[in-house]
Amino acid sequence: MKLRILLADDHEIVRRGLCALLQKREGWEVCGEASDGREAVEMAKQLKPDVVIVDIGMPYLNGLDTTRQLLQHDPNFKIIVLTITDSDQVIREALDAGARGFVLKSDAARDLVSAVEALQSKRMFFTPRVNDLVLAGFLDKGHAISRNEPPSLPTLTVREREVTQLLAEGKSSKEVASLLNLSTKTVETHRSNIMRKLSLHSIRDLVVYAIKNNIIQIQMPPQLHTPPETTVA
Amino acid sequence: MTSRARIEQEARSGLSQRENQLMAVRILLVDDHPIVRQGLRTLLEGRTGWEVVGEAADGVEALDKVATLQPDVVVLDVTMPRMNGLEACRLIQQKTSGLEVLFVTQHDSPQMMREALDAGARGYVVKSNAARDLLDAVEAVSQHRVFTALARPQA
Repeated sequence: MKLRILLADDHEIVRRGLCALLQKREGWEVCGEASDGREAVEMAKQLKPDVVIVDIGMPYLNGLDTTRQLLQHDPNFKIIVLTITDSDQVIREALDAGARGFVLKSDAARDLVSAVEALQSKRMFFTPRVNDLVLAGFLDKGHAISRNEPPSLPTLTVREREVTQLLAEGKSSKEVASLLNLSTKTVETHRSNIMRKLSLHSIRDLVVYAIKNNIIQIQMPPQLHTPPETTVA
Repeated sequence: MTSRARIEQEARSGLSQRENQLMAVRILLVDDHPIVRQGLRTLLEGRTGWEVVGEAADGVEALDKVATLQPDVVVLDVTMPRMNGLEACRLIQQKTSGLEVLFVTQHDSPQMMREALDAGARGYVVKSNAARDLLDAVEAVSQHRVFTALARPQA
């Protein structure tokens, strides 16, 4: 019987690459592709894949919240998280969310097959950096990584995290309401609760919060070059 | 030349023109993520006559491979270690002629696109739409035409 894999990444180019890599393995099949977290949750419920590979930085519903929702639906889902960063916080959140595989996108060509094999055999797979943290007792929930670790954050509900991401992506309350099948008034209520719980005063603060807490990911562009003065011919 | 020979010669030149339209395009892929390079390769190798002649993971390696492989088109990412794509593009354009650069990047920014075109690129597409735009973009730049497409609407 084939090993069935569901891919969730918002870039089709990346999905093409992942498919090409995974389908070289005999007996493995990519049974579905999702381009955002919400689609991934719906497809997983229908297709019941053996392994789900989830990009952390997806629009509408990021990979960490997708992981949480998938495992709430069925704790037996085996989930590998793909990320461009391996900060302490991202690693901690991925593990807390229930992912049992953690692969850097830059190393996916090298590590992803091993990660799928590991999860298929009911083992975990993390990039070497994460293994160091595990050995240092990271999984003991009483420990912080360093003394500079911020105090534990106020807990947002699942719905509040969804609303936070969509607002941080620049959507209006009306657009959020439409996407989540809620009334605008309900979204406004969630928004006030979120701002109050997190002591935020503006959408700009919310965006900063979302970036710091990996609810949305951004990639910094290189410094732009200042062109030399041009002469007119 | 007999009229028959002239007719045959004219028929052969007509064929050459048609063959030119299906001309081979030799492509170098430059991106620091092997998975992205694999995805680009899968899309590009579907086109008859197009060949991915090599890959590079940063700007330094790209310069080296441009010199040795002499591609027609360089598909280039912006954000890479050692040397970013903008710098690589400038140097490529200084050192070689006849090849064209197409940026395929995460940066959905008019400012970055202008910078890329100023650096000598002929094309600029955004990764989120690469699957849709890549083939048209490579075709355009291989024929020395500009192709740019941002994802978000511009003001």
